[in-house]
Amino acid sequence: MSDGDYDYLIKFLALGDSGVGKTSFLYQYTDTKFNSKFITTVGIDFREKRVVYKSTNPDGSSGRGQKIHMQLWDTAGQERFRSLTTAFFRDAMGFLLLFDLTNEQSFLNVRNWMSQLQIHAYCESPDVVLCGNKCDLSDQRAVREDEVRELAEKYGIPYFETSAANGQNVNPAVDVLLDLIMKRMERCVDKSWIPDGTVRVNGPTNADLSEGSDRSKCAC
Amino acid sequence: MACEKEIWQKIGESFVQEYYNQFDNTNRTTLGNLYSADACLTWEGSVFPGKEAISGKLASLPFKSIKHIITEQDFQPTIDSSIFIMVFGQLKVDDDPPMAFHQVFMLKSMPPTWVCTNDVFRLGIHNIPS
Repeated sequence: MSDGDYDYLIKFLALGDSGVGKTSFLYQYTDTKFNSKFITTVGIDFREKRVVYKSTNPDGSSGRGQKIHMQLWDTAGQERFRSLTTAFFRDAMGFLLLFDLTNEQSFLNVRNWMSQLQIHAYCESPDVVLCGNKCDLSDQRAVREDEVRELAEKYGIPYFETSAANGQNVNPAVDVLLDLIMKRMERCVDKSWIPDGTVRVNGPTNADLSEGSDRSKCAC
Repeated sequence: MACEKEIWQKIGESFVQEYYNQFDNTNRTTLGNLYSADACLTWEGSVFPGKEAISGKLASLPFKSIKHIITEQDFQPTIDSSIFIMVFGQLKVDDDPPMAFHQVFMLKSMPPTWVCTNDVFRLGIHNIPS
């Protein structure tokens, strides 16, 4: 899995209150399974997945597929024991911000998570996808879709109603986050804002990306 | 060879049992009583000097329920007749996945009782980006 045959290594971090389903969400994405029993967390707490990203050219045709090695980092509840500060946020390129549709407080705390991100992430407006998880539990729903949409619009971030239990919208949410990141990279002429170590570029075709890596970290 | 347990081991074991029993089954407000006035707690790298600061930290941990399971515990008597303890185990908080933890204690005799003078706690996870 961790052989070097890829074009980019991209780190995502799943955030949100404890119990909203971050671990199950990542498990569903990487293994297409819902683990209703918790697996014991041993050693390094991230999951990995390889995908091929095809950028869309302005004329609508797809470009060359790029091999992406994704690392999905999970906080696994450690935020209750220690604050997730710069060390945890700084290396992630994209953020999956989850709340629980059956738990209103977890939605109210989305604002706090967003301000944490604005302070600690590699720049003030990192790529974030908001996920209202547990949408399969519709009879216990405690958060209205329109109020979430309003908040997501305010922050200018995409919103998905997801279910780590049945897989609904899990892949689309991660795909959109990856797309945002790849577009951001394409947009940036000077790539020096990319946090150190989050993107590893292999191969001569992308040599332009590694210029400026020794400049200051964040141009945002 | 079956050996009678040394006294320092018995004291250490009863401390560990009492500590996690109070941690898991009370709201942690009484835990401070197990520490000496000038005890020091290092919790995930943050230092809490003194009984009051320790009590406050432990009582304010943000969860409803916690359960510790001890995998192993080791004890040593020190040259100044204190007891040095290392605990290795797992804990589970509310609905989060279980996590490994390590905790080290130093116990000092203050007749008629023993108090904890030093406590160092770490989660056993390795996902801090380097």
